[in-house]
Amino acid sequence: MLGLTLRNLLHRPGRAVLIVLAIAGILAEILILEAFMAGTYVQLRHAVLSRGGDVVVAQEGVRNFVAARSVLRQQARAEIEAVTGVAATHPIAVLSLVYEQGEKRMPIIVIVYDDTGGPVRLTDGAPPLGEGEIALDISIAKRFGILPGDTFTVSAYDFAVSGITQGEAAIMTPFAFMSFDTLIDFYFSSDVADDIAAFPLLSFLFVDAAPGVDPAALAAGIEAAVPDSTALLPADLARNDENLGRELFAPILNVLLGLSYVAGALAIGLFMYAAVRGRLRMLGVMRALGFTSRHLVGATVGEAVLLTALAIPLGTFLALGLSSLIVWLDPVYLLPVTEPDALIRTTGVAIVLSVIGALVPLRALMRLDPATAFRG
Amino acid sequence: MLNWAFREMLLAPQQLFASVAAVAGALLLVLFFEGVFAGESDQIVALIDKTDADVWVMQKGVGNMHMSTSFVADWKVDAVAEVEGVARTTPILYMNSAVEASGRSWFSYVVGIELDNPRVGPWAMIQGARFPTPGGAVVPEIFASDAGLKLGDTIRIAGTDFRVDGFSGDTFSMANSINFVGMDDLADVMGSLGVVSYILVDAEPGVSAQALAERIIAEVEAVNALPRDIFVARDYSIAVQMGLNIVWIMTLIGGALAVLLTGFVVYSHVTERERELAVMKALGVRDRAIYAAVSAQALTIGGLAFATALALMAMAIPLAAEFAPKISLAITTEAVLRAGVTALVVSLISAVIPVRRILSVDPVSAFQQ
Repeated sequence: MLGLTLRNLLHRPGRAVLIVLAIAGILAEILILEAFMAGTYVQLRHAVLSRGGDVVVAQEGVRNFVAARSVLRQQARAEIEAVTGVAATHPIAVLSLVYEQGEKRMPIIVIVYDDTGGPVRLTDGAPPLGEGEIALDISIAKRFGILPGDTFTVSAYDFAVSGITQGEAAIMTPFAFMSFDTLIDFYFSSDVADDIAAFPLLSFLFVDAAPGVDPAALAAGIEAAVPDSTALLPADLARNDENLGRELFAPILNVLLGLSYVAGALAIGLFMYAAVRGRLRMLGVMRALGFTSRHLVGATVGEAVLLTALAIPLGTFLALGLSSLIVWLDPVYLLPVTEPDALIRTTGVAIVLSVIGALVPLRALMRLDPATAFRG
Repeated sequence: MLNWAFREMLLAPQQLFASVAAVAGALLLVLFFEGVFAGESDQIVALIDKTDADVWVMQKGVGNMHMSTSFVADWKVDAVAEVEGVARTTPILYMNSAVEASGRSWFSYVVGIELDNPRVGPWAMIQGARFPTPGGAVVPEIFASDAGLKLGDTIRIAGTDFRVDGFSGDTFSMANSINFVGMDDLADVMGSLGVVSYILVDAEPGVSAQALAERIIAEVEAVNALPRDIFVARDYSIAVQMGLNIVWIMTLIGGALAVLLTGFVVYSHVTERERELAVMKALGVRDRAIYAAVSAQALTIGGLAFATALALMAMAIPLAAEFAPKISLAITTEAVLRAGVTALVVSLISAVIPVRRILSVDPVSAFQQ
């Protein structure tokens, strides 16, 4: 039967190519959606885990990094440094801004850091160590055509762009980095100076544990010593942010994925229905020659599975190409198309769908009269 | 030839149905994807839109609410009230935060309102009090339902517990559910005393919002003021710009799928009727007429698929509200036009594929067996 299936495909190569392309297109679309979801979680985890530290201290009750507003008292730093087992603390302030240039607007999360917590990967320029300097994620630079050395104006304050970072974004929002000296200067020199008291100067403290100190025990010690704080391990904070991302995107992406799978099943069903209709006489001949309905159904299912199997690598390459295009157009996205879980899941579901789709012409096959072979 | 084209399609209604369903599925994906972004974008501006103040006053240098931080000294509320043409001023505090309930977290807008001033608050109520009491919060009903909350239960905002006083309607979206709490309570949470985030301004009758906004900027130190429509448009554009590229690519994929599916259907149709076409050519029917017939078939499939996708999308909006309330869907004119143009282009491109097949049909084959 496999030989027959192959001959069927090669008999009309144009039709087979169209089917494979269409299934590959559906697979690519599903893989990109899966990658969007996986990329979102990776970015959320990376936002915390790449800042360093063994323990993260936030305002009491705050258990997220990206979407949370955390304000720590200035004195909290000295109190935490006095806790046994603390080797060093690194302050981080986080604020949200909207940058605009003409009609283009982009929300930005600004991470203010001292000696630790800055950008992990610079593609151009240098870290923003000098006063008035800012490092921007490549997605900001690309959308607004900004290069190192350019001026970046927010709230009438002119920042000097020191460098371009890569992979520093979460939830479709890029990060920018600056030092505390720049933040203070920004507060005093820009339009916000009038109301500076309300702005956070210390959002989180990233704490290095002394050698041999268990970070979990240290976190408990910090919470006991500074009751108006929450101390978490970076991995826990990252997991909380990832869960927040799941609450945000999972409902809609699951619906979109479901819709894509239904569209895929419909398409495969259409292909197989058309294939059976176009070969009714030949299938009639097979029935007349003694092939049972089970043989014919098996051949149809085999054909669908074979077409899908051919489409899987093509769909994966298509998804890789399209995701690269999306990321090239807008680097705020991270689309790990080859993430193994999603790839295996999508491939498995595609094979199942091809079997379901192949059953669409089942009724026609079961009721096929061998006399069809002798009709004009 | 056109009659032949339509008769041929109607002779195989199941195939026509399957074709339209498959192409409609691809177009529906495009519409649905755009619908989600449009729905979420609508919800992002819901607070500004429904509150219906004439002018919004905020910190100088700020021009948005979504993903923005604005702080204005509270004495400026009185300063704005004294500007000629201002009938009423209403301050609010506002922050983006994760709101925790039942061990889960949701992205949220938290809006602090004056408890003795009913100017700002939920615009639709499902259950409980419309305005929170001290220590209380009015939360979106969908969020409450998702978290299994009852009136009197506790939610946590930036480490502070709030009692649930009421469930509001039309305030939930995945990106920014709107929770209302007392302004003093939120000031405590934010540690920001003596400031407000935005000042909502109602103009006196006959006063232009644009002129009033300009007057406020001129007369009150270090503030920005925007008429409601402009403020809405600016926040909406942020949401749209955040998803623009991925929507564009998904539209491209959906469109390409529709091309392949329609092309396949018309191609299969032509292939099955190769002998009939050969007879027609042998009888002197011009290629042009056959092209027109094939194009008509493709356009019919594309048109029916577009209409089906649009109808399904129109049905999906109330169904989503009923059965998947977390998903905000909306249809925009631009999305419909884009899908319509896609369907038209798809049909015409699809007709090209089988035309090559027709060209290769030898009239002599009509007389061969």
